[in-house]
Amino acid sequence: MFSERERERYKRQMMLFGDEGQQLLKKAHIFVAGVGGLGSPVSLYLAVAGVGTLTVVDRDEVDQSNLNRQILHFNCDIGRKKTESAEEKLHAINPDIRIRAIDTTIEEENVADLVGDADGIVDAMDNYLTRYLLNDVAIKKKIPLFHGAVCGFYGQATTIIPEQTACLACIFQKAPPKEVFPVVGVTSGVIGTVQATEVLKYLLKRGDLLTNRLFLWDGMQARGEEISMERNPGCVVCGSWETRGKRL
Amino acid sequence: MKVKVRFFARFRELLGTEIIAEAADRTTFSELIKQVAQKNTEGYDAIFDEHGHFREYVILMRNAKRIDTADAVRSIVADGDDIAVFPPVAGG
Repeated sequence: MFSERERERYKRQMMLFGDEGQQLLKKAHIFVAGVGGLGSPVSLYLAVAGVGTLTVVDRDEVDQSNLNRQILHFNCDIGRKKTESAEEKLHAINPDIRIRAIDTTIEEENVADLVGDADGIVDAMDNYLTRYLLNDVAIKKKIPLFHGAVCGFYGQATTIIPEQTACLACIFQKAPPKEVFPVVGVTSGVIGTVQATEVLKYLLKRGDLLTNRLFLWDGMQARGEEISMERNPGCVVCGSWETRGKRL
Repeated sequence: MKVKVRFFARFRELLGTEIIAEAADRTTFSELIKQVAQKNTEGYDAIFDEHGHFREYVILMRNAKRIDTADAVRSIVADGDDIAVFPPVAGG
């Protein structure tokens, strides 16, 4: 149930989805991979919405050059672990939720344990190698993956529901080359907020998810478009067991 | 015949947002995109490798359906086709 403080805090959104919806958020556990440009708005909005448990994972320390977009971290945090900074801010903005901040690198060996019993994974990473690991574990655990990525004023997002929709490996069969990408904070804000909206809709079991659709945002033209996507029956991650066997 | 080619993200910066291209009969997707991309060397090189093959991460869509880049050298464009060409965006 909810304390008086929680009722007051969530009053305006409980007008939308009531005690029942708020309870769904409170009992949920979301895994946020990365607390950088995308992870900042994602974790902030999930925290203030009252998602009961947030696990945030990052391996980096706050750098001056992060501060044009990573709004969870402040100038006074330079040199601190991002997870420590994130835990402090998220707790400060909503003391009624649980934050699990883990300072580590997401790797093939630890990704399943890190995700644990989470109800969904938010991809707020900056590289496809880790994104593919998150996709693999989401498929194995049959939990959704909320994908987002940005470059400059461009962004993309999609929601992956295992066994129902195209997975990340169906959509992006090959990773683009690694590069230092230009980015402006507002783009991370747009895409991160789309991802957080998707998480809330999934937990609340409301609305139409961004499934089998890749949302493309062009901030310079103020234009959003979407492209239909389909499952790839031969996908090495989510295709038939026969195909998956070939990968092993 | 007229075919619409739309670029996204980095490709858009180099080659423009939307181009209505005039295509001769029996033009393949690969030929058409090369024809359109040739106006900007950097844009061309972002899409094609040194052998003129699509770079492996390039995504091609025809009328909202995915086309395998390997098939794009054989598939023929049709009048009114809407072709989207884009790279995955990677930052976080």
